[in-house]
Amino acid sequence: MYTKSGFRHPNKIEEYLMIPKTPPKFAVLQLSGCAGCEVSLLNANEWVEQFDLVYMPLVVSAYDVPDVDVLLISGGVRSDEDLHSLRHAVKHAKKVVAVGTCALSGGVANLGNRDEVREMFMSQTQRRDLPRLLPKSQPVDDFAEVNLYLPGCPPTPELFMAALLEPPDFSASMNVCQECGRKKLKDMKPKHLTGFQRGEVQPDICLINQGYLCVGSSTRGGCRALCTRPGHPCVGCRGPSDILIEKDSQAWLTSILRVFDVMTEIPQDELREALVSPQLALFLFQFADYAGLGKPPRPKEKVL
Amino acid sequence: MTTLTFPLSRIEGHARVEIEVRDGKVVSTRFQAMEKRGFTLMVQGVPAEQMPVIVPRICGVCSTAHHVASVKALENAYGVQPPKLADDLREILLLGQIIQNQATSLFVFTMPDRLGVDSIFHITPEEADATTQFSIARGALKLRQLGTDLISLAGGQFIHPVKAVVGGMSSGIDSARAEGFRQRLLDALPAACDLVEFYWEISLRMKERIGSWGDDQPAYYITSTERDTPRYNSDIIRVMTPEGECCREFSAGEFRNFLTFEETDYSYAGRTSYEGGVMRANSLARANMTRTMGTKLAGDFLRRLRAEFGHPAHPILLFDLCRGMELVYAIERSAALLEEPLDKEDPHVAYTPKDGEGWGLVEAPRGPLIHHYVIENGAIALGEFIIPTVHNMLAIERALRVAAERYITADSVNLELERAVGRVVRAFDPCIACATH
Repeated sequence: MYTKSGFRHPNKIEEYLMIPKTPPKFAVLQLSGCAGCEVSLLNANEWVEQFDLVYMPLVVSAYDVPDVDVLLISGGVRSDEDLHSLRHAVKHAKKVVAVGTCALSGGVANLGNRDEVREMFMSQTQRRDLPRLLPKSQPVDDFAEVNLYLPGCPPTPELFMAALLEPPDFSASMNVCQECGRKKLKDMKPKHLTGFQRGEVQPDICLINQGYLCVGSSTRGGCRALCTRPGHPCVGCRGPSDILIEKDSQAWLTSILRVFDVMTEIPQDELREALVSPQLALFLFQFADYAGLGKPPRPKEKVL
Repeated sequence: MTTLTFPLSRIEGHARVEIEVRDGKVVSTRFQAMEKRGFTLMVQGVPAEQMPVIVPRICGVCSTAHHVASVKALENAYGVQPPKLADDLREILLLGQIIQNQATSLFVFTMPDRLGVDSIFHITPEEADATTQFSIARGALKLRQLGTDLISLAGGQFIHPVKAVVGGMSSGIDSARAEGFRQRLLDALPAACDLVEFYWEISLRMKERIGSWGDDQPAYYITSTERDTPRYNSDIIRVMTPEGECCREFSAGEFRNFLTFEETDYSYAGRTSYEGGVMRANSLARANMTRTMGTKLAGDFLRRLRAEFGHPAHPILLFDLCRGMELVYAIERSAALLEEPLDKEDPHVAYTPKDGEGWGLVEAPRGPLIHHYVIENGAIALGEFIIPTVHNMLAIERALRVAAERYITADSVNLELERAVGRVVRAFDPCIACATH
């Protein structure tokens, strides 16, 4: 509101009248994705008391994004409708948070960004009178300024709560290893990689000692190692740790290879081939140049 | 010709409804899925053994079903039989998904329709009495979380589980954790029953207000749960006639002999039919096609349903009531399974990967889900996903037509139509991320 004395911040009036502070408003914009991020957010029950959820089509009937303190955006930009919704929504937000691997860097959709797949996709998939599909799935920050990145597939409820707070209330461990608790053994050196998902995981012993291609040693912590503790190798969904996040993918690759060099006798060629296979391409290296995004690195201060 | 467009919220994914009207007559009702990621193309060339990690990303709501269907398709291709313990652990995983999904559909998606609010997070004292006002949102979220926590217990990760592997499960559940969780389930059971009971009451009130349970014309029903009691880690697909007779049983690999799949030019999802007729999957199909529920409290609900609505029951708003019954069943059943020893034997057998063709079937919350893979040189040459929501497409459009004809006359459109469209679609709980994949 403008007066002769200039712009008056509404909060000040509220303070003057001693009106209780209203809870911060937040909205969730879901672009093309799997809704796993939304399901995780719903598991973070605590926000129900602390925040006012004003827009989230999955759970609230509301057809437009109102002015909000925090806007969470999940999913990648896959169609022209995604693009229009994104451009429209960010205008209404004080703080924009890109959540989940799809919004940050494409996630699983990167499998579809391969040229041979894109050609088939574009020729077979378009339909009349529906949102037009874009040639590639693109991350949110190709089109809008992002204040905070929340990586994970999906980020845990704990991380969602942290991202809603201003400033975010969370300091992650350096990497997944620090949260995993499995013992690294000096004298257990596998000669070859164990198959990707071959069961038979020994409890309490590091998965690398058992020959699994686990990249937790250079993956950003904060997930509480929820895959590796029950025995599944880390696929790097939280992206590179702070040490590596501003470097190119080669630095991450080298770091992983060095860990395996010390802990195993697996030939480097075998490792290199496995590290660029599709299931790791989903997540690994996506912050950097591997996904072919041609983007400058995201500053580590902006990544939760 | 006039086209009415209804954007949809409180469903999984992006969809809208278009109704075409000419001279007060409803010409067509279309349910349009509006997004597409292209998993069938995306998985081409992917090493087959990595599919169980990749395909849960088709949908964060139904990820557990995709995870297990994927592992079963690979086992079918490799000729591996997992041990019984692994089958039970997978059943627990799928029950966790039923708890999570049915709690979400009931309380987050459809309860606001019955209370006349925008969401369960925006219930004001005028709209609910003081005792229920605050407990609904919290109780509903707690039940959802119980489901995802059960998925974590059996599957490792909470949204995209990782513990189902070819040949079985990567580990069992130790008895201390199993017992701890069983207690949690038993503690949650009374609150779940109260919420379901409350839901049943407000559904009756809504029916009084609108004067209908929705489209009640007969339809074919399809499920893959067992004949006697529900089992979601399923093997055989069954179809029931509109008169209530079980007419066909077939394996996942034979589905094309019985179901007709077609694409449409107005939606990114296709649709299936059975012998040219409208078919329904999801909770009402399972309720119509099971002999008993096999647990005490859910059994009481089934008897009540049959007494009030007969067999087979057709009105679409009963889908929602059946979800409540399944929520109770999944809590009772998983508590019983957690009483069994789940870490005494090896839940896994060795296997050798080979090329070939495999089919994987599970009963997902929305009906039978099939994964079909052709493997060449260890990589996926064809990855096909037959999604349960697609079986309901014709049924959704027929029910929309019933609603449209009720509220559109030669002179006017009753604005109750907008609410009716939401109720109809949500009764089927469609999953657009899955349907379009």
